[in-house]
This record gives sequence, C-alpha cells and structure tokens, in this order.
Amino acid sequence: MKKLHIPVEHTKLTNGLRVVAAPDHSAPVVTVGVYYQIGFRLEPRGRSGFAHLFEHMMFQGSENAGKMEHIRLINASGGLLNGTTHYDVTNYFEAVPSNALERVLWLEADRMRALKVDDENLRNQRDVVKEEVRVNVMNQPYGGFPWLDLPPVAFRNWPNAHNFYGDFQDLDAATLADVQSFYRTYYSPNNAVLLMLGDLEPTEAFTFAKRYFEDIPSHALPPKADVSELPQTEERRGEVEEKFGTLPALAIGYTVPPRNTKDWYAMTILDRVLHGGRAGRIYRQLVFEKQIAVETDGNLDAFDANGPTQMVTRIFHRPEFTSDATVAAYDEVIGEVQEREIIEEELAPVKVKFRADYYSMLEGGMGAYMPRFGLMHYLACFTLFDGDPDRINNVLDGFMDVTPAEAQAAAKKYLVPANRAVLARRPVSHGESR
Amino acid sequence: MTSTTVTTQAPRSSPPALGPERPVAWPKRIVVTLVNGMQVVLAEARTFPKISAQLFFRSGNASVAYRAPGLAEITATVARTGTTNRPLRQIEEDLRRMGADLAAHAGADTSAIGISGIADFSEGLLEMLADLARNASFPEEEFERERRQRIEGLRIQRTTPDFLATERLRRVLFGGHPYAIVAPVEAQVAAYRREQLEEFYHQNYSPANALLILVGDFSNEAMLDQVEKIFGAWEAPAPAPQKWPAPPKHTGRQVHLVHLPASVQTQVLVGNLAITRRDPDWYRMVLANSIYGGAFHSRLVMNIREQKGYTYSPRSGINALREYGYFTVHAAVRNEVAAATLTEMFYEMDRMRSLPVTEQELESARSYLSGVFSLGVATQDGVLAQLSTVYLDRLPEDYLEAYRARIHALTADDILAAARRHFDSANEQITLVGDRAQIADQAALFGEVTEYDAQGNRV
Repeated sequence: MKKLHIPVEHTKLTNGLRVVAAPDHSAPVVTVGVYYQIGFRLEPRGRSGFAHLFEHMMFQGSENAGKMEHIRLINASGGLLNGTTHYDVTNYFEAVPSNALERVLWLEADRMRALKVDDENLRNQRDVVKEEVRVNVMNQPYGGFPWLDLPPVAFRNWPNAHNFYGDFQDLDAATLADVQSFYRTYYSPNNAVLLMLGDLEPTEAFTFAKRYFEDIPSHALPPKADVSELPQTEERRGEVEEKFGTLPALAIGYTVPPRNTKDWYAMTILDRVLHGGRAGRIYRQLVFEKQIAVETDGNLDAFDANGPTQMVTRIFHRPEFTSDATVAAYDEVIGEVQEREIIEEELAPVKVKFRADYYSMLEGGMGAYMPRFGLMHYLACFTLFDGDPDRINNVLDGFMDVTPAEAQAAAKKYLVPANRAVLARRPVSHGESR
Repeated sequence: MTSTTVTTQAPRSSPPALGPERPVAWPKRIVVTLVNGMQVVLAEARTFPKISAQLFFRSGNASVAYRAPGLAEITATVARTGTTNRPLRQIEEDLRRMGADLAAHAGADTSAIGISGIADFSEGLLEMLADLARNASFPEEEFERERRQRIEGLRIQRTTPDFLATERLRRVLFGGHPYAIVAPVEAQVAAYRREQLEEFYHQNYSPANALLILVGDFSNEAMLDQVEKIFGAWEAPAPAPQKWPAPPKHTGRQVHLVHLPASVQTQVLVGNLAITRRDPDWYRMVLANSIYGGAFHSRLVMNIREQKGYTYSPRSGINALREYGYFTVHAAVRNEVAAATLTEMFYEMDRMRSLPVTEQELESARSYLSGVFSLGVATQDGVLAQLSTVYLDRLPEDYLEAYRARIHALTADDILAAARRHFDSANEQITLVGDRAQIADQAALFGEVTEYDAQGNRV
C-alpha cells in the first residue's frame, strides 16, 4: 500500500517557543496554529469553565489589534479562524491564502505578547459563553452527553472530574484579575508551539517566526500538576436526567493505559475492533443483530489527551429494554473479545481503516474549509506531549504492529468492571408532551 | 499587559501588508457524458493517497413530498444495507478492508451515495458504488429496522430547536410547493411500504439521471477507463420531469411560534424567498449576505454577539435549492432578549437596504469571499463540494475559475441593490421556537402570531 510521508522541520526559539513547519505546495493556502499547553483539566478550582472562557478572551483584543480587529484582519485576508479548548491544550488557528502568512504571525504574536482586555469584554464574553452552553448543552437533546456527564462519574481527581464548560456561578465569579493571572501563568512562549503548514518555505517561515515571536519574554512555568487518579477498585455508576430526548441512553467508559505504552497501542486497535463504525462489533451486535440499540458510536481519542482519558461507547437504546439488559448485551460483546482471540482476518482490515482514517484526519479533520487541521493538531500534540513532531510519520507503526494476542490481552486487562464507569441518561416526561 | 521592553526589527504597531495574491489552480478535470447519459466529472488531487466519490441522482424528497414525504431518504439508507451480490455484513466488511467510508442520503433535490477510501482500492470502491446503485435488494428486515430507527430519530428531531424552526419556516415560505416539507411525521413513516422504496430506486437511480464526481489520487485518463468499464453498460431511462406549484407571496410580517416547553433559550429564525445560484443577482447577494451576517466579522455578529452578548452563533445565509432559494437569519438567544434580537436583525437589514456599505467593509468582504472560496481547493472534500455545486446546479463551466474575479468586480451599489431586492424586511416570516410562557408577549410585537406544537399542530 502506498504510504504517506509528511515533510516536517522544527526548531526552538531562544524564549522556548517550539516552531514546526510542514511545507506542502499543492494549494496556495497556509494553516497556522498556536497551541498552549493548558486546557480545562488545569483550570483553577472554583473557576470551572475558565479555560474555555479565557479562550474567548483571546479574541477580545491585544496591544496592537483591538477588539474584532484580529477577526477582521483574518477575514479580510481571505481566511477563517477559530479556537478550541481541550483537556490539555487550547489552540488558536487560521487557514488563509498563503500571501497572508506573515500577517497571521503578527496577530498571533501580538496576543501572545500582550493581551489587552477590560471588564466590559469579560462581561460580554461571559454572556456569550452562557449562550454557548445553553445552545449546546441545556437546550439540546442529549446536550453534553457524554463529554460533560461521564468524567464526574469516572474520575475522582477534580482536574479530571469537574464541569469543563463551567457552572454559571463559577463563570459569574470570574474576574479580570483571574484573566490576567491565567494569562501570566500559562500563556508563555515556553508553554506553546507554533505550527505553520502548507504553501511556505520552512527557512522563510522560521525567519518570520523569529521576527515576530522571539522577543516575547518567557517566564517560569508552575510545577507540573498531579492529575493522576487513585487506583479504581470497582465499577462506578451514575445517572443524569434527559430533559428533551425520548430515548434512554448509556455511556460506558474504560480508562485507557498511559500514552505510547505497548498497551495503549493495543487498546487503541481494540477500540476500532469494537467501534469502528457499522463494521465494528458493538454496532453489528446491538443495532443490526440484536436490535436493542437504535444507534451507537464510540471512540478512544488516542492522540490528544495527556492524562487520564477513556474509551467511551454511547448507546441509544429502545425504551422497551432496560439499561441493565442493554449493559448485559454490551458485556456479551466485551466477553467475546476477551475469551476468543481476534483473528488476523479481522485485525488486518481494522488496521487498513485505521490508516485511512489517519490520512483523512491529517488532510482535513475539521471540515473542507479548514485544510490540515488534523495535521496541525497531531503535530502539536506530538510536540507538546511527546517532544517529537516526527512521530507524525512513524506513529502508525506501533498500531500496525499490534498482534491478535496483544489485543486480546488488552481486552482482559482493561475491559473489566473495576476499570469502567457507566452513565445512564434517562428521559423524563414533563407536564406537556414534546 | 506583560510586555515591558520593545526591541525588535519588525514594526510592531501595525500588521504587515499582504504579499501578492497567488494564483489558484483548480485540479485538472475531465467532464464527459457517457453514452448511457451519466455525467462524469473527474479531478486529480494527489496530495493524499485517497479517493472520494459522490454519485448523485437528480431526484430527492421533493419528488415524493405529496405522496410519501421522506421516501427518498429512507430509500437511500436502505439501499446501502444489501445488494443481490452482498449482504449487509459483507458490505460493511468490504468497506473496512478498503479503508472506506460510505454514506447514502437524500436532500430535497438529489439522492446521493458517497464513498471514500484508500486510492489503492479505487476499482473495488467503484465496483461497490455501482453495486449499490444498481443491485440494491432492500432486505425486508433491514427496511423494518431502518423504519423504526427513522421514527425514533424523528421523535428526537422534534425536540431539537433548530430542526423545529427550519421545519416551520419551510412550511410557511413554500406553502404548496414540495420544498415546504423537510421531514415526514411518524404516521407517514409507519405507512411506507418496501415496494415504494424499490419503485423509487428503479425510477430514479438511473444513469441518465446521474452525476458521478470523483476526486483523488489517480490519473484522469486511467480513471475514465475504469469508470466506463464499471458504469458504461448500465442502461436505464431518466424519470419524467415534474411540475410544481409556485410558493406563496407573503405580505407583511407574520410570527410562527413553535411551543417547546421548558426551553431555556429561544431559537429565532427569520426568512424570505430569495434567489438560486443561477440568478444574475447571485454574486451581489452573496456579498450582501457576507457583510450583513454571513461572516464572523459581519454587522450582525458584531452587534448581537460582540456588543450585546445576546447569542453565541448568530448567522445569516442564502439557501439555494434547485428551483428556489431563500434567505435566512438565525440566532439562539436567552428568552428575555427574543424581541430585542429581532429588533437588531431588522435594524441591520434595513441599514443594508438604506445606505451603501463603507469602502473598508466592501474590500474586506470581497477578499474574505474570494480567499475562503479558494481554501476549498486544498482538500479532496473541498474540491468535491465545489464541483458538486457547479454540476448539480448546471452552472457555467468556468464558475470556479471566474469566481474570484466576479466577486472583486462588485461595488457598494451592487450590494445596496441586492439588499433592497432580496432582504425582504417588511415581509419577513418570523419563526420562534421556545417556551410560550416566556416569549408570547415578545412575539406579538412583530405581527400576528400563530402557535404550533412540536408535532406541527396548531394550538
């Protein structure tokens, strides 16, 4: 099979900022990202939702680009931009015609150097974020299921277990002083990576990076926080009310072994055996054959977590089956992968699909108009978490090497009740029917 | 905030100028019509070792809206569950073996089967596509399962604010035209018969009604040979064209309130009939929309998000269907500001209709549209999406290549004219989805209010 090789060059500026370039002249477009190694896992206690609220503040103005100016300049260059907050990183990214590369770097450097926001900006974005939570969670069927529901059941350490979108009283309590302190603590060049991909020459791109970023002062980072979980000894269960939706739903999460270990590769491949769309064992058994579930999906986000994380299955099941009966049917699927070795005839196509999905993610990953989002995202994670952007070209090897025996061993070791959490989302009927 | 010393070789207080705009080369393509009437568009995009294919049929849910709403959609979803050569499980396993994803859906105007996977397997992928398009067997058991899933899916959709708003607005705007119906009701799904799916499939999934677009890592010439080998022998006539009544004209604003108990927000959706991509005003309208509410830096976003904090994601858009297009403005807002939001939407609309936009807005919007259009060239899916637009809507052959120049030629007067013609402020149809007790008084400020429940019944 034809293999892909992504050319990657990287360097580090004197202030500690890591810089990665991946040239690709197939279209006159560049994608630029700045990733800070801070996500909602490490937001301050009593300030749930703050990492995400802060992400909004990064669009409210910096020393030389006032409110809306950053957005206007990117749009007026013919580009798109956004930012997203994850467990362990927060990113800011742009896709622009390649003649705008230098301008994008100027803008990103300006907000890395000197954020300039006031109380009015904070009040405004607090309101906007509350509407974001309402539209995505509180006023949607199955809103926040399971990314907000499951962690509080699965984990005990606050960084892993709190409400990442934020309780409204915590959002209300956030002050401009909190914004400034968070910025000073985490938004330092030595806690970030700059990525430049697409129609560019790495040498020139590195010159631009030095020109705009190298004199941004860095400072000492706080000691690495302890986000580990105490060993789990028994299954954890929880329940959440579903205000709108009509089907009962379950989320089942198994905690994943640490990144880059032999078991992590095996568990990730096992995830594709079990999930992996309609060919996956769970979909086939629960939707097609037993017809207990109306819909099911699941995944293990292998690359972008740098702390406790889970392989999660979601099951929307028919109301005539209880959640216990549904879990029992699910457990039969799990039992099969534990008791009988997965044959090579099943594993080989799973690996082909894994490779195909990896390529698709690198090419796009966030819609057709944000090219190479996935390439940017993975390069950032490999740089920040593993110190090695070249993993983009060899990370697949570890997955391709997983043997049937290793996949089965991972199933026996990790797919056990004492390593899982089960969350039920139960529809409530109220006065008027919807 | 943290910066103290300022020493750098670069001027820091103003942004660097843009470099010269680089030319955009759309992928080399071949456009042919096979002897059996199937239109084929091939485009080489070789950066990633993948291919992406869409096989469209120019018949969708509109063509069955009067007798069995949603029939085209369920036909597409059941068609992928078995052929005379492959049972369901084999289809799914074959896909995985070729690193492929498959999707089959129908919209108002088209039915489509899409497949993408590793380029090494392009022949197998095309054979699978042809098998699904020609030999679907509609297994009874899969039909019943898909029907049950559709009913459960509809129940959930009818608790989803943006679905309910769109469903109601389309009813209002299109009246007796089949575009009025975006989804069936449960009883209609329960009444589907398997034979209806087979009939729709045999009448509409035909080469004379088809458009095949392929983008990816292949050579056009070799791929054309493969396509002819796999699809060339397929013979079937196109379905007869249909005529539909025109949508109604609306005079004055009317409010359509869909009651969704316990909503903590109001979904606001305002709309009027506008134009299709084939209209001479299309480019003017695209630019006017972009300045009004079609982009992050637009007036509407600046006003109700960045100044007032009413909402997270306000936007306007032009929805171009084959026969008609419509203009919409939407925002999900907290209940207390539903009326205030409408006031600002109309204010910004009227301002677009009264005064020319500034030179800076004009220049920014032209560059924005021209640049973003070109971002699509960098991914196979982006190229496929743009080609679909051109060949489904039968746009001029140079549409992609000429787009940027056409946008750059527009003036402030063009935008004013388009806004006056197509932002129909005085006759907007206003849909509000939310809790009646929270918003009925606000709704009444904007016109006569008709109330519905989530099932579409008047209350």
